[in-house]
Amino acid sequence: MKNTLRQVFHSSKFLTGFLIFAAILLTMWIYPLFNPGNPLEMIGVGTFAQPGTYFSLYDAATTRTETLRLPDADEKRITNLVSDADRAAMIEWFGLMEIDVSEVDATDIDALLDLWLEHYDPSVKIKGMTQARRNFFKRLDKNLRQIRAADTLLVMHQEEEELVEKARITKTDYVNVSDVANVKRLPLGTDNFGRDVLKELVSATGTSIVIGLIAGTVATLIGLTLGLLAGYVGGLADDIIMFITNIFTVIPGFVLLILISYSIGQDQRGASVVAIVIGLTSWTWTARSVRSQVISLRNRDHVNLSKLSGHSLFRIILTDILPYIASYVVMAFILQVSSGILAEAQLSLLGLGPKTTVTPTLGLMMNWAMLYSAHTNGSWWAYFPVILTITLISFSLNLMNTGLDQVFNPTLRD
Amino acid sequence: MGKVILEVRDLKTKYVTRFHESVYAVDGVSFKIEEGKSLGVAGESGCGKSTLALSMMGYYFPPLHYISGDIIIDGKNISGMDPDTVRKSILGTEISYIPQAAMNALNPTQKIIRFLEDVIHAHDAKADNKEIRERAEARFAELGLPRDVLDKHAVELSGGMKQRTVIAVSTILSPKVLIADEPSSALDVTSQKMVIKMMRELMEKGYIKSMLFITHELPLLYNVTDDIMVMYAGQIVERGTAKEMVFDPIHPYSHGLMGSILVPEAGTRGSTLTAIPGTPPNLKKPPQGCRFAERCRYATEECRYHAIADKPFGDGRSYRCLMSVDKLREVYENE
Amino acid sequence: MKGYRKYFGKKILWFIITFIAAVILNFVLPRLMPADPVSAITGKMASGMTDATAVQEIYKRFEEEFGTNKPLITQFFIFVRNLFRGDLGTSFSQYPRKVSDIISSAIGWTVALQLPAILVGWLLGNILGALAAYIRKGFDKVLLPIALFLSNVPAFGMAVTLLVIFAVKLKVAPIAGGYAFDMIPNMSWRFIKSVISHYQLPFWSIVLVSIGGQAIGMRSMSIYELNADYVKYARFLGIKDRKIVGYVFRNAMLPQVTGLALSIGTMIGGALVAEIIFSYPGLGSTMYSAVTAADYPLISATTLIITIMVLIVTFLLDIIYGFIDPRVKAAQFDA
Repeated sequence: MKNTLRQVFHSSKFLTGFLIFAAILLTMWIYPLFNPGNPLEMIGVGTFAQPGTYFSLYDAATTRTETLRLPDADEKRITNLVSDADRAAMIEWFGLMEIDVSEVDATDIDALLDLWLEHYDPSVKIKGMTQARRNFFKRLDKNLRQIRAADTLLVMHQEEEELVEKARITKTDYVNVSDVANVKRLPLGTDNFGRDVLKELVSATGTSIVIGLIAGTVATLIGLTLGLLAGYVGGLADDIIMFITNIFTVIPGFVLLILISYSIGQDQRGASVVAIVIGLTSWTWTARSVRSQVISLRNRDHVNLSKLSGHSLFRIILTDILPYIASYVVMAFILQVSSGILAEAQLSLLGLGPKTTVTPTLGLMMNWAMLYSAHTNGSWWAYFPVILTITLISFSLNLMNTGLDQVFNPTLRD
Repeated sequence: MGKVILEVRDLKTKYVTRFHESVYAVDGVSFKIEEGKSLGVAGESGCGKSTLALSMMGYYFPPLHYISGDIIIDGKNISGMDPDTVRKSILGTEISYIPQAAMNALNPTQKIIRFLEDVIHAHDAKADNKEIRERAEARFAELGLPRDVLDKHAVELSGGMKQRTVIAVSTILSPKVLIADEPSSALDVTSQKMVIKMMRELMEKGYIKSMLFITHELPLLYNVTDDIMVMYAGQIVERGTAKEMVFDPIHPYSHGLMGSILVPEAGTRGSTLTAIPGTPPNLKKPPQGCRFAERCRYATEECRYHAIADKPFGDGRSYRCLMSVDKLREVYENE
Repeated sequence: MKGYRKYFGKKILWFIITFIAAVILNFVLPRLMPADPVSAITGKMASGMTDATAVQEIYKRFEEEFGTNKPLITQFFIFVRNLFRGDLGTSFSQYPRKVSDIISSAIGWTVALQLPAILVGWLLGNILGALAAYIRKGFDKVLLPIALFLSNVPAFGMAVTLLVIFAVKLKVAPIAGGYAFDMIPNMSWRFIKSVISHYQLPFWSIVLVSIGGQAIGMRSMSIYELNADYVKYARFLGIKDRKIVGYVFRNAMLPQVTGLALSIGTMIGGALVAEIIFSYPGLGSTMYSAVTAADYPLISATTLIITIMVLIVTFLLDIIYGFIDPRVKAAQFDA
C-alpha cells in the first residue's frame, strides 16, 4: 500500500494534477477566512463593475492629504479625461477647418489640446454640419477647457439653508489609500446582480465540487454494486444487469438528465438533488469495467480458496475481490466527479440547474453571465474565470487519472 | 568443404534501456554456414540467441544497437552498408527472418496477398500485382499451403496455419540465409512437425541456401540441423556437429544443458537428468573471466579472472573453457 | 459472409431494443415524477387569472390534449400511435405550431453542424495523436499537455471563448444565429454565404473540443501498435517505415471508430449546449427555449429526437466498423 502510494506520487502526471486540485481546494478553504460573508450578497447596484480596487470617494474627500508634485500628473489626468473618441473628434474638426496638424503628434494630447484652445471658435459655421454635430463640438470644447482650468474642487456640506465648506481639493492633493475608511477590493469585479465575482466563484467551486463528489459517489456505488453482482454471481443476474447497462450505455445520459431534471421541477431541484440525478445517469462505465475485472478475478486461486473455506459472499467480495479492483474503482470515481461537474454546468446552461437562491454553482454563474450577455458586452470577469475553473478542475482530475492509469497498467507506460 | 554462404565475424551488439544502460547481449560471436547446411543455436532464455537473430539482419533500430563485427553473406559484407540499402537489397532477398511470435507477426487487418505485394514491391517497385499473385500461388502450392490463405486476413487463420504462412512469406524472395527464431515453440506437436517438414522442404527445393535455427529445445535441433552451437551470456561456448554436440558435449555448460533434457535416442538412456543451478550473469556488466564460472561445478579461481578464447579441436569443433578436452571428458566419465 | 450476417443481425436487434427502451423511458420518466406537468403548465398559462372556472377550463383542455385523464397504459399506446404518425403534439410556447414542425425545422441545422464537426474533430484528433505517437520527443511533450488541457475545456467554454475572440473582439464572424437576422431562408448566394459565415464559430468550437480527447486516445493506441510484433516482422522483410506506419495507424484508428460510437452520446450533450451559446437555430437552442418557456411537449419531443439520432449514428458506426475491421468477422466466427 505504502509502496503503491509512493509509486503513484512518483508519476509526474498524477503529481501535477494532484497539486492543481489541492491548490483549488486550499483556496476554497482559505479564501472565505479572509473574506467571510454571504457569497450571493448584492453589494453593487449596477451590473458588471470592472475588476479593481474601489475606495469610498466620500471618505477620501475628508481624509488627511499629502501634497505630492508629480511631473507627469497633468498629462495623465488629461489622457484619462480625453477619450479616444474625443481625440478623433478634435482631429476631425481640425480637418474641417483645414488647420495643419501634421506638426502635432496625435498621441501628444497636451499639444493637441493647445492647438484646440488656440483655434476653436464656436461661432464658425462649417458648411453641411448638422446642428447636433455643432452642439457636440461645443460641449467638447467646454469639457476640454475645464481640463485646463487650474481650479480647486470644493466639497460642500449642506447645513440648514447654507452650504458650508467641508474640504478643498487641489490637483496636488493625495490620499493614502490605507487611510481611507472604506476600501473594497474586487479582483474579479461584480456580476450582473452586483455580487463579488471572486467570492461567488470560490463558493461556487466548492458547491460544484461537492456536486461532483455526490454524483461520483452515487454513480460509483450503483456501478460497483451492479458490476460486482453481474461479474461475481453471473448467470441470469449477469444477463439482466448487462442488458440494462447496455441500454443505458447507448441512450445518452445527458438526455435522461434533462428529462428527469425538468420533471422534478424548479422547486425540488436543490444542488444535492441535481447531483444525485447526475449520478443516477452516469454509472454504466463503472458497472462495465468492474464487471470485466471481477470476471477475470472470479476463478483465481485465492478466491476459490476463500470459497472452499466457506466464507460468506459478502466477505469474499470485501476481502478477496474489492482490494484487487480498488484502483479501477478509484479511477472511475475520479472521472465521474469530473464529468459530474461538467454535467451540472451544462444542465445549468440549459436552465435546468439547481435552485438559484441559496448557493451559486459554476454552472449557474455561467448561466447568469450568458443571460446578461457578459460575453458580448466585454465583461470577461463574469464568465472567463468560471470556464477556467471548470477546465482546471477537470484537467487536474484527468491528469491524476492518467497518472494512476500508468501506474496500474504498465503497458501504457512510456 | 562447401561454399561459405554466411560468415559472422566477432559480432557485437547491445541494447540500450530506457535508463540509458547498455546490455551487451551479443558479445563477439563468430561462425560460418556452408551452402546447403543448417546451423542450430541452443541456449537458455536470455542467453542472447534471439538478439543474435535480430543482430544478424544488419538492420538495427532502438533499443538494439550495432557495435562492431562483420556479417558476410555470399561474399558481401552487409555490416557497413547504409540502412536503406540493407532494407532494399539485403532483407528478404539475401537474408530473411521468421520471428518468435508468428501468432502476431502478421498485420491482423491486412490480407496475406496484400502483405506479399508490399514485401515484393519493397524490393522491386515495378513488380506487377498479377505476377505477384501467380508467383505466390505457385510457391504456396509448392509448400503445401492452401491457395485461399492468400485472400484471408491473419486473424482468420489458425495458429499452425499462421506459422506456415509466415514461413512462406519470409522465403517468398528465396533468400540465401534464413534465420528462424523458435519457429515451432508455441505450436502443438502436429503443427510443429509440419513446420519442421516445411523448413526441410525449403532447403531441399533450393528456396533457401542455408539456415540458422534458434531454439531452446535441443532434441529438436538434433533432428533438424546439421551443426549446433551453444550460446551462453552473449557468447558461443561450443560448436560441433549435431551428433557430436548431443553425444559428446565438451563445455561444462553444454554438458549441463544436455543433461537437463532427455534425448529420445539410443545410448542416452541411463544418463541422469540434472538441472544447472544458478542464473546467467547480468550482461550490463559482463564478468571479466569465464562467464559461466559462477555456475560451473569445475570452476577454479583462475576461471574468474582469465578471459577465455575460443579453442578449436577435433574436426572443425571449438569450445571456450580453460580445461583441456581430454580433462573434461575424463571428468564427465567419472561422474 | 456468415460472420458478417450474424454481426449485422445482432446489431439490428440491439438497435430495435434500445429504440423501444428509449421510447418507453421518454414516456415513463416524466410521469414518474411527483409534479403533475399539466398543473404546472396550467399554473404558468393561468398566472394572473382570477376566474377559477377559467383556470379549471384550461386545466381540462390540457388534460385532454395530453390524455392525462386516461389510464397510464392507454396513454402509452396513444403516445406510440401518435409517434408513428409523426405527431408529437402541439407546442405551448409557439401555440398552435405543431412540435413536429418546430423540430423538423431545427433538426437539419443540428445535423449539418454537429455531424461534420464531430467527424472533423475525430479525424484531426486521430491524425495529431498518430503524429504524437510517431514523432514522440519534443512534439509529443508539447502536444500532449496541450491536448489534455484542451480536451478538458467544456464545449460551452470553448464556444464562449471563440465567440468573444472572433465575433466580439476581432469582428470577423457574426455573433449569433444560423444566418443574418434580416434574411429569409432561400437558395440565394447571399443567404448561403451568410449561413457559411455563421457556421464557422459553432463548427470550430465543437471540433476543437473533440480533438483533444481523440488525440490522446489515438496516441496511446498507436504507441501500443508501434510495439506490436508485426511491425518488427514487416521491417525485417524490407518494407519501408512509411508503409509500416500506414499499417499501424490503420490498426490503431479502427478501434477509434468504436470509441467514437461510444462517446457520441456525451459529445452531443456538449455540442447542444454550444449551440445555445451561438443561438444556433438547431435542437440545442430549441430545447433551451422550450425549457425557458416550460414548453413540456417540445422538451419531451426534443429529447426523444436527440436520443434517436444518437442511436442511429451509433448503429451506423457499428455497421461501418464491421465492414472495415476484419477482426470483427473473425470474432463472430469464433463465437
